[in-house]
Amino acid sequence: MGDGERYSFSLTTFSPSGKLAQIEYALAAVAAGAPTIGVRAADGVVLATEKKQKNQLFEEDTIVKVESVSKNIGMVYSGMGPDFRLLVKRARKIAQEYKMMYQENIPCIQLVQRVAAVMQEFTQSGGVRPFGVSLLIASWDNKRPYLFQVDPSGSYFAWKASAMGKNYVNAKTFLEKRFSDDMVIEDAVHTALLTLKESFDGQMNETNIEVGIATAKDGFRLLSLPELKDYLKSIT
Amino acid sequence: MNPFNYNGGVCVAMKGKNCVAIASDHRLGAGRLTVSTDFPKVFEMGPALFIGLPGLTTDSLTVVNKLKFRVNLYELRENRKIRPHTFKAMVESMLYERRFGPYYVASVIAGLDPETDEPFVTAMDVLGAGEVNEPFAVAGTAEESLLGLCEALWEPDLAPEDLFETLSQVILNAVDFDCLGGAGATIHVIEKDKVTTRTIKTRMD
Amino acid sequence: MALSKVCGLDESWESYNFEAPAPEVSGMKLNQPRLSLDEFAVGLSMPSVDVNQKVVQALLEDESDVQVEHQKVANPRALFLHGTTTLSFKFQGGVMVAVDSRASSGQQISSQTVNKVIPISKYLLGTMAGGAADCTYWMRVLNRQCRMFELRNRERITVSAASKLLSNMLYGYKGYGISIGSMIAGYDKRGPGLYVIDNDGLRVAGNCFSIGSGSPYAFGVLDTEYRYDLTDKEAYELARRAIYHATMRDPYSGGNVSVYHIKETGWVKIETQDVSDLFYKDRGL
Repeated sequence: MGDGERYSFSLTTFSPSGKLAQIEYALAAVAAGAPTIGVRAADGVVLATEKKQKNQLFEEDTIVKVESVSKNIGMVYSGMGPDFRLLVKRARKIAQEYKMMYQENIPCIQLVQRVAAVMQEFTQSGGVRPFGVSLLIASWDNKRPYLFQVDPSGSYFAWKASAMGKNYVNAKTFLEKRFSDDMVIEDAVHTALLTLKESFDGQMNETNIEVGIATAKDGFRLLSLPELKDYLKSIT
Repeated sequence: MNPFNYNGGVCVAMKGKNCVAIASDHRLGAGRLTVSTDFPKVFEMGPALFIGLPGLTTDSLTVVNKLKFRVNLYELRENRKIRPHTFKAMVESMLYERRFGPYYVASVIAGLDPETDEPFVTAMDVLGAGEVNEPFAVAGTAEESLLGLCEALWEPDLAPEDLFETLSQVILNAVDFDCLGGAGATIHVIEKDKVTTRTIKTRMD
Repeated sequence: MALSKVCGLDESWESYNFEAPAPEVSGMKLNQPRLSLDEFAVGLSMPSVDVNQKVVQALLEDESDVQVEHQKVANPRALFLHGTTTLSFKFQGGVMVAVDSRASSGQQISSQTVNKVIPISKYLLGTMAGGAADCTYWMRVLNRQCRMFELRNRERITVSAASKLLSNMLYGYKGYGISIGSMIAGYDKRGPGLYVIDNDGLRVAGNCFSIGSGSPYAFGVLDTEYRYDLTDKEAYELARRAIYHATMRDPYSGGNVSVYHIKETGWVKIETQDVSDLFYKDRGL
């Protein structure tokens, strides 16, 4: 029995090296998930993800990966779809409860903290497993853009730009080269799509990717197919 | 006996130009007995945020402690000062949680927005039904008199000193006709970076 | 019985049937006064519905109007001068009378300058507590009766007789919701006199009384400091202080304290002072 196996029977048992194997495995599930990019611009945030169908018989327009949480907050994931949907449900409920209590929209950092707390709880409770997803949460609030990443362990970070899922190391390197602080949202969408394209297997089109943006004007929204088409034109 | 009249007392708040003021009387009764004449009913919730809680005193004290707890938690969690608007929503939620066994207190809130310094006053009933967009707020055993006096004496854009004078006249003349209020009053005038607290003399009978 | 004549009592009043049904008058049930008191209470019409004691009790306990046989009976409580502090005591120099001056309906102060001492004659004073209208009306009736007595008998009425007149009149209206708590104080051929009267028909003589919502507080001061051999000055001070302290503690008493002294030569008003002024003077403010 190898070291990894010996300490992986229980979710809440540390290995001698100080790691929780189940969380490592969850991160592996994320790393094997579809590539997801987030880029923060001066006037907004973009979330972009690959949405390749496993079977061409799927009705592709019924599958949505980028979701709104409140008027000005949206999120996307790499990893396991069903786990993500549960977190979306919880995040929306957290946002609405906040609004009921204080009669104002939940600040992004508050939502991130509370969603992260949910994810942390699933690393320490009995009878559950950690979430097999990492999240990118984007918002426009408090007169500025925010981009957060939340991992299965419950840790979270604010990013200028980030990549998750398959090929994320290369994607991050790519973003490091491309990112600049004075980008506007159009540049950020462009950069996100270019980054996705780097690792894209096959032809990228408006049906096999999904993009959401958070801006001061619209809050958080998905880009429509014609909008995506226009952006894609400028890449090829 | 009606729990709102058991201890007695009044609170009133008013907007001025770049300032707000909130006042309460000093009487504490126990039914037909005046127990204390040194019992103000306005509590500090932040550097520029005050709440007045006339009503059943035991509930006032409980509510003020619970609110302070929630405000502290909010300010730690969000790493910012609570806005008067948010505080109002918080009080409303807390009071409505007790829909079927309410705290017998009315609330008057006065404060300045920590970012914009916008003046804010509001009042609400036991269940947290608040008035909105009034330049003054009243509650307590002389509620009707207070409201009438506010309507008569308030004018827009009062400077801090004039606001103090106006509010003094309002509370003084209201409690002089209220058996269960009076015995002195405390008035806080809240300006940007400054709170002036003064006590005024009223009839003591 | 001379007094019963004076009181206008029917010779057969002792066998008066209190439970007799009220006579029908043009389809409406009218209650007659239980005693023939017409001579005093001219034009006092009885309630047009049978207001029994239960209803009156309900009116007194509850502040809302009461529905009696499809008729709304206005609740008299709203008109009451409930809160009051009055006191009176006999001492070597005669009788002291002191009162506050607040009138309230509910928790609202309706006046701070009410006169709660009613002169009945040069030698007689009555104090008011309870319903304002009841007190003023019945004091006026008593005043008239006392004057009638003096004209008829060519001598001053005694405190005892005067208080008994009022007491008997009130007894006749017992159960009808009249609210009076009064002290009749005066000086007559027997010396100083002091009686407590109330709407139940109570009449008690004594040396030291206080009536009203502030009376427990007034008694606190009075019982501690009272002596029969108080000097005039001490008596004024005690009367004033007892009322003053009562107004501080009782939310339904306040305004001014008025002090009267009844001597062999008749009553004199000693002073009227604002109790709030007394408070701040007391504290040196």
